[in-house]
Amino acid sequence: MSDETKPGLEFAGHEFARASLDACVKCTICETQCPVAAVTPLFSGPKFVGPQAERYRNGDSVDHSLDYCSSCGTCTLVCPQGVQIAELNSQARAVMKADHMPLRDRLIGQTTLMGTMMTPVAPIARAALHNKPIRTIMEKVVGVHRDAPMPPPQGQTFASWWAKRPKPATAATRGTLVFFHGCAGGYFEVETSKKSVEVLEHLGYEVIVPKQGCCGLAQQSNGLFEQASASVLKLCDDLRAAGKDLTIISSSGSCTGMLKHEAHEIMGVDDERLKDVGTRIRDIMEFLLDLHEAGELPTDFATIEMTVPYHAPCQLKSQGMGMPAVEVLGLIPGLTVVESGAVCCGIAGTYGLKKEKYEIAQAVGKPLFEMVKKTNPNLALCDTETCRWQIEQSSGVKTEHPIWMVHRAYGLS
Amino acid sequence: MSRVIVIGAGLSGLVAANRLAGKGVDVTLLTKGIGGLQLGQGSIDVLGYAPDRVTNPVLTLSAIASARPAHPYAAIGAEAVHTGIEYLKALLGDLLVGDAEANYQLPTAVGAIRPTCLVQPSMVAGNVTDGARFAIVGLRRLKDFHPKLVAENLSRTPLPDGGRLDARPVMVDVPARDGEVDSSGLTYARAFDDPAFRDRFAAALKPQLNEGETVGLPAVLGLKDRGAWKDLSEKLGHPVFEIPLPPPSVPGMRLNEALTALAKAAGVRVVNGTRAVSARVEDGVVKGVTMATAGAPREFTGEAFVLATGGFESGALAMDSYGSVTETLFGLPLQGLDDGPLVHGDYWSAEQPLFSVGVRVGKDMRVLDAAGAAVHPNLFAAGGIIGGSSRWAEKSGDGIALGSAVRAADSIVEELA
Repeated sequence: MSDETKPGLEFAGHEFARASLDACVKCTICETQCPVAAVTPLFSGPKFVGPQAERYRNGDSVDHSLDYCSSCGTCTLVCPQGVQIAELNSQARAVMKADHMPLRDRLIGQTTLMGTMMTPVAPIARAALHNKPIRTIMEKVVGVHRDAPMPPPQGQTFASWWAKRPKPATAATRGTLVFFHGCAGGYFEVETSKKSVEVLEHLGYEVIVPKQGCCGLAQQSNGLFEQASASVLKLCDDLRAAGKDLTIISSSGSCTGMLKHEAHEIMGVDDERLKDVGTRIRDIMEFLLDLHEAGELPTDFATIEMTVPYHAPCQLKSQGMGMPAVEVLGLIPGLTVVESGAVCCGIAGTYGLKKEKYEIAQAVGKPLFEMVKKTNPNLALCDTETCRWQIEQSSGVKTEHPIWMVHRAYGLS
Repeated sequence: MSRVIVIGAGLSGLVAANRLAGKGVDVTLLTKGIGGLQLGQGSIDVLGYAPDRVTNPVLTLSAIASARPAHPYAAIGAEAVHTGIEYLKALLGDLLVGDAEANYQLPTAVGAIRPTCLVQPSMVAGNVTDGARFAIVGLRRLKDFHPKLVAENLSRTPLPDGGRLDARPVMVDVPARDGEVDSSGLTYARAFDDPAFRDRFAAALKPQLNEGETVGLPAVLGLKDRGAWKDLSEKLGHPVFEIPLPPPSVPGMRLNEALTALAKAAGVRVVNGTRAVSARVEDGVVKGVTMATAGAPREFTGEAFVLATGGFESGALAMDSYGSVTETLFGLPLQGLDDGPLVHGDYWSAEQPLFSVGVRVGKDMRVLDAAGAAVHPNLFAAGGIIGGSSRWAEKSGDGIALGSAVRAADSIVEELA
């Protein structure tokens, strides 16, 4: 099939990722760490569908098992040679699906739309998402598994809380930050967004929250590169409108990764606006750790006597900054944070929602769910939204963003 | 911010980080991906050939140390290798056995016999002896292991001590998982973690074994369950041993996973994902190393730095098209560049001098210049980045990594105290 029938897929990033192919020495390290290949023979593994199959691709794919790749990015993370395995696979999948993109994959990428539709009717939406017959119909018609975790509809969006709340009591003495909440943080994980700005304000920052759209990550991971590229650049415009040179803080770990490197490395978006935002954005726990290392983080934390499991999401790990949450939470007296050591929770954004992949995603996350239940049956911590929903749904353990713990330790909740 | 920054997560980086953390030092380990340890056989080579087959590695390395002043063992010394061996054995509990004074002689996946110093208990029964009777068992769906090749080569090879053994091939077909005809060694290892799979496997194999045979299997007998091989041996009623495969190497993964987990448990902060791309040096002192983190580069500052980045294979050394070789992070002075051409065209003859290129170190593992002075007072080296030997030919890489890692760690601890 010629590229003319696949608009938007002739991206510079492909050439860049493809160039990394030659660095592959076939060492199999990526194969050994792939969480999907470990639990199903349906996916032949990142090396086989990536650096190996890529040599045989001339537009079309020779291996359709790559649709079973969850795009968790673990292969790229563990590769000692710098081969962009996950990026190559995401690109090849986008090409492969271009002429038969399932309706479901178009729909579940529309995160803003889902939030806008559900918030005004939150109680109904909540009930519907817990209703067996409705979920069964949803599975049959749309292809979203009946037991898959769904975003929790909220009665109030972050934006409406932000507009109505009283001014903060603490005077802003430390300068101004821009807050990026992402779709999930705007519509579903509203509490996480509130707590994030409250912690930042407690520290003495003035927080600006510009009107903002979606980063396009869910579209990107479903292979809708054209739409995703437009979304991410629109978001860059939104965030840039808040002020030049200001640090942007986000409590949405995966969207942060999209802005920092994925939009560029996977879709080849090469735009000054993205470069500007991508170099100014910081994950909130990363930001707190930076403050601590500069000796500027107050550590007058209240004691929290607790042992809590923490899972670092794939898209946070792939940013290559270690695990800032573990270090920041380590400053709270009494708190013992146990890192899960698990590769992936299985959900990988929207992968684990799909009816044909649900069981695989559950098998991928099983060691994590067991570790979580064993470590603390009442609370787990994780930096990204869909991973939290997956862990909570599958382990039955309430799962919060680590900033909740910081908020608590500062006496703000 | 940590007091010590270790760069590289192969054997030397992991051992240095563990040893430092074990002595109460705050350590950050920087790595691009998973280190090379899991690509090896999961045993520890101290010295295998010098150039003849070595039976007592520590004794022979002492001789090398006095005869060849540029060899890494001259700076490291037998004592540090001894310390490293004992340290690693203690750290890993029941995962490694052996003695610095004696090499095992173990069958390889092509039926050759390799000398190695520390081995996993699951390999011990393979130590070749005159008159031994081996059944070499292949798995029909595991393409990396050919029992006929192994058995025939072993049977026709005079053993290092002059004796002979008798080996015959056996093939069994027990699928690791349904619907898969071409399974990796790792997939089999995960299956062998399950006692029910071991039951099925033993039931299929046992009728094919003869009285008095020792069973040689590809090294896939469990990844997480360290007792899987023993359980299988009991189920079969025969001694069993593992023969390491090309990567993915399950015994290599066991070592890597154990050392990484121990480092994390000891409080080592592991930062994975991007390459260390530059270093900041002020007044000759190393102040920080920068990683190419997504979004913005991130500097890691410290008081002492351990360069455990490996050699050409990991990009720690690079040769350009003009044939000039550089150490890619600090631009350190290298030894081994002035003795004529680095690569000769005769593939089968003498060692290629290129593979002996690397940094020079003192007895405390500080990196030295050609005049023997420390390049930076707080920069230490460990493992493959140290020049002066052809590790692959000597089978000395693990011993060099271990000895230099403990020596570097101990020097730093002394320095910081």
